[in-house]
Amino acid sequence: MYKVIILWVIIFLPACSVKPWERGNLAKQKMAINPNPGLNALRDHAFTSKEASQGGFGSSGGGCGCN
Amino acid sequence: MRGGELKILIACIFLVASFIVSAEMVGQKVPFCPAKINASEQNIDFEKYRGKVILIDFWATWCPPCKQSMPFLNALRNELVSQGFEIIAINVDDDREGALAFLKAYPVDYLLGFDSSGVCPSTFDVKAMPSSYFIDKQGRVRDIHLGYRENDQRYIRNKITELLAEKRP
Repeated sequence: MYKVIILWVIIFLPACSVKPWERGNLAKQKMAINPNPGLNALRDHAFTSKEASQGGFGSSGGGCGCN
Repeated sequence: MRGGELKILIACIFLVASFIVSAEMVGQKVPFCPAKINASEQNIDFEKYRGKVILIDFWATWCPPCKQSMPFLNALRNELVSQGFEIIAINVDDDREGALAFLKAYPVDYLLGFDSSGVCPSTFDVKAMPSSYFIDKQGRVRDIHLGYRENDQRYIRNKITELLAEKRP
């Protein structure tokens, strides 16, 4: 019986999709994976400038903080 | 798995499939939906536009391509209105006031409807935002255009011109 319940859930989960006209809240900036792109870019810049040997993401810097 | 459980499972699959497979709109008469005209409580009556080519456009303020399409649609409407073309744009925002504030800043000349309940897009089986439904002079859905990019302008214009050229029986 448990197998039927699990299959039932698997089958019905896709039926609970968000319709195209219901995506207003999902479209809000605060719902983005990166809600503050400007702030994150600034922090990345400071991080890569101060810790040039670390990271592995964003732009690299030589430590002068000028790029 | 026993035979009874298998039957239940098969019944479930068919039930779900019936939800997924939606009715094809093209060729059908434009359905009624309870979109309110502008800020009033009056419903839009599509029958009133019989004999005209109409484009029913579903849009929202949170949808950038919808907003991008509006200046083009407004210009197209104003260019072809004398030939019997009209646009009815149905806003599906939850917040009607927000949509009205947007329209105050970026006004359009075509008819606006509001449906925050989701009944209209559900009735029209909207698959994407924006969605444009081309309605011919007999009041039938002739084509559906999903999304909007600048490259789509020619297609939309050609489709409208084609429908306007058709003679009413």
